[in-house]
Amino acid sequence: MTTCQECKNFFPLEEDPNRGDCVQRVKDPRQAYYQAKPVNAEDDASACASFQKKQQ
Amino acid sequence: MAQPALKDTRVEEFEKKQEWWWAAEKRRSGRLDYLRKAIWKKGAIGGLYAPGVKTDLEQAVLTTNMAKALEGSPDPYVVKSAKLFAHILDNKTIFITDHAQLVGYTGSLPNTMNWNPSIASILNSEVFNDPISIPEPVDKNQAVIQEIVDYWAGKTDLDKMMPVFDMDDLMKMLSGSIGWGVPLARGGYSNKDYEYIMTGKRGFQDIIDELDKKMDEIDDAVHEPTANKEIAMMYDRLNNWEAMRIALEAGIRIAKRYARLARIMAENFEEDPKRKEELLKIAAACEQVPAHPPRNLQESFQYDIFIQMMSRTEAIEGAWPCRPDYYHGPYYDKDVHIDKTLTKEEALDLVGEFLIRAAEVCQFKPKWAREGLQGIDGTWVWTMGGVDEKGKDACNDLTIAFMQAARLVRVANPTFAFRWHPQVKDEVMREVFECIRHGLGYPSIRNDPILVSNAMHWHGHPIEEARLWVHQACMSPNPTTKHGYQPMRMANATANCAKIIEYVFTSGFDPVVNMQVGAETPDVSTFKNFEAFFDAWVLQMRTIFSILVRSVNRARLLAPTMTPRPFLSGLSERCIESGQDTCDPSIARGNAWITAFTWVENADSLAAVKKLVFDEGKYSLAELKDALAKNWNGYEDMRLDFVKNAPKWGNDDDDVDRIMLRCLDACAKFSKELKCPCGNNWPILPENVSGNIHYANIVGALPNGRRLGDALYDGGISPGPGLDKKGPTAVLKSCGKIDHVTQGRAFLLNQRLSPTQLAGEKGFQLWKAYMRTWADLGLDHVQFNMVDDATLRSAQKDPEKYQEVIVRVAGYSAHFVDISRKTQDNIIQRTVQGLG
Ligand code: SF4
Repeated sequence: MTTCQECKNFFPLEEDPNRGDCVQRVKDPRQAYYQAKPVNAEDDASACASFQKKQQ
Repeated sequence: MAQPALKDTRVEEFEKKQEWWWAAEKRRSGRLDYLRKAIWKKGAIGGLYAPGVKTDLEQAVLTTNMAKALEGSPDPYVVKSAKLFAHILDNKTIFITDHAQLVGYTGSLPNTMNWNPSIASILNSEVFNDPISIPEPVDKNQAVIQEIVDYWAGKTDLDKMMPVFDMDDLMKMLSGSIGWGVPLARGGYSNKDYEYIMTGKRGFQDIIDELDKKMDEIDDAVHEPTANKEIAMMYDRLNNWEAMRIALEAGIRIAKRYARLARIMAENFEEDPKRKEELLKIAAACEQVPAHPPRNLQESFQYDIFIQMMSRTEAIEGAWPCRPDYYHGPYYDKDVHIDKTLTKEEALDLVGEFLIRAAEVCQFKPKWAREGLQGIDGTWVWTMGGVDEKGKDACNDLTIAFMQAARLVRVANPTFAFRWHPQVKDEVMREVFECIRHGLGYPSIRNDPILVSNAMHWHGHPIEEARLWVHQACMSPNPTTKHGYQPMRMANATANCAKIIEYVFTSGFDPVVNMQVGAETPDVSTFKNFEAFFDAWVLQMRTIFSILVRSVNRARLLAPTMTPRPFLSGLSERCIESGQDTCDPSIARGNAWITAFTWVENADSLAAVKKLVFDEGKYSLAELKDALAKNWNGYEDMRLDFVKNAPKWGNDDDDVDRIMLRCLDACAKFSKELKCPCGNNWPILPENVSGNIHYANIVGALPNGRRLGDALYDGGISPGPGLDKKGPTAVLKSCGKIDHVTQGRAFLLNQRLSPTQLAGEKGFQLWKAYMRTWADLGLDHVQFNMVDDATLRSAQKDPEKYQEVIVRVAGYSAHFVDISRKTQDNIIQRTVQGLG
């Protein structure tokens, strides 16, 4: 199963690498921003349309 | 970044044509221009939210999931409430907009409206039934909403409270005919103990340390070898403290999440070294506040935004009581003048952004609230100027910066209300005037000495506290002090006062909602003289006010246990000290008031009845009753007689002005009989927001010649639009007959002035002379529209071209194109007063 930790958008917490933020760049019709949403390293990413493989 | 977006020679041309909105666009910095245009306009237009603005389902889902998870938990309710709050802050999506220096938003994305499903099922149903605001894919999300609505049915604050209210009162109130809003501690206007949290002495961590100390002490005390009532009650205090701690800790954590995001952006994505530096500054600010007191202006603003954002996570807040120049002013001074770490231009950028951050705040509101607040999400009336606790002028350089920033970003919400007093310097008055002249419709001007005395008269606030007042909503002063701040003003003590006179003719029966709402006074046609008629008016007034006040009193008493607010309590010295909830009336002084919508119709109607029925005997009461029941149909000549030949308020005409004073006296007397659970009084406060339009189809025909469906007067003690025929001094003289200290809590006055007449230095001098008369006559409030008819008519014809024209509606401003046609017409109808 592909998980969030394999994704470029996943930024693990220093104090607990099993948790982290999914950080993405968004452009809506009025503004551009970065958003962060808490995710777990082991969260299932197989259905995530925003998944981007992390470069090793 | 604090450079003008574009050096444009057309700026002066725009200013000459008084097209201030185009001039502002050219004058502001590139950053402010970007951020101003990035705002998703959240105010409803014609009761509907704009396309693209969506209900935030994320927080609603988080709330619901956590509530389910807590169902089996043995935690006391207040602790569960705090855990729910913490869960949202820990898990919501956060974002940082390009160019921003300040962060934090009530929703999870910029275009979303926060929806808290735990407050009222009637609100939840409106979310479900508002397909325009449901995010895509609508079908899927409607199913999500349905699930949330179903879960909360019977469990929301209002659902739980309703069975313990007086059902008769509640039904009358919820009928929508006499009141506005619901009696809930998590839905209304929350003032805060700014003297405790906003004076640089402490941050959340300091409060948490204090709480820990308290809890340790009590923990020891309850285990002493003794037992008594005090010990039995200490467990409740422990629970409240525990809940406050959970809420404050969550507040620190979410700030750290923003800090982390800013660092991730700086270290991984940002290539521009200047922006990188800004992001690291944001990170440093969010690590500092709210945990610790701010160190500079940016952190001070950031601290404030976090507090507002968190408070709006806990409750629906329809207002924004604050005094930003007073509380942030010392940081401006330090950064700009002492440490010189900020230039004036850079500081102006921060101030402008602070306004923008507030302008984008939104929480999903029911349709009746949207109609009453056309074009805005709530009344963010920010208090400026005034005096400090010792009575010295509190205006500072930040006061001026706020006025200047307002003219650059031109947001309609927040607006400012300026506390005028005799020590205000000319330099500051000029800045205030410039905002008005630029057509912002704000600041409104408040008479500080009058309102300080008023706060002492009605609520017994000591003078030092009375001087620290802010607008709790559009108009009502409330100190930001330990015992003075009112944690929640429940909006439903808002009386649709035109019903008072209407019910005299219907013996209290409301033909619109088809129920007996008012007092069953005798058939109006049996009254033999004006005194008997007036007695019936007084009884209707007492009945309507009592229904509304009883439900607020009940809700306030129940609030600490049924609808606690651990976060707001955690910001309050009296709660930290006592371990009681912020709404607990036993630890507050009380600052209640009845907002009197549609008020002046009473004086004009009573005066018309007195003159044409009792003094001149031209018509009988039976005839008038029939005419009103038929909405004047078949009685047009008679109606015109009541419009044209009866005296009207606002013309310095003693016949009607005396009646106004009599009505106010009757209310003032009753206000001292009505008591809030803190034991304090319930004075009235005539003002309207856009209730005059909302109630147009709810208030029947009236003896002032108004028909069902016609807009009501624009409110407060403003004369009916176009009925003030004797000029601005006559308006001031009528209003000056009112004792603005003892006859009510505050009195809104709208005035329209001519932008052409008030151009240049001469215009400023004319306005100052007008303001001197206003102050000498002892009025407590005035606000101005200074956009001419031609511009407003052009905006009606070609709204796309006039998107940025702002007008003063009532206690707030709005973009002209965002308000209904009826409200637009009502504003155009107002008399433009020539000065001098
Ligand atoms: S984009 Fe998808 S896979 Fe990647 S971190 Fe975010 S949620 Fe996980």
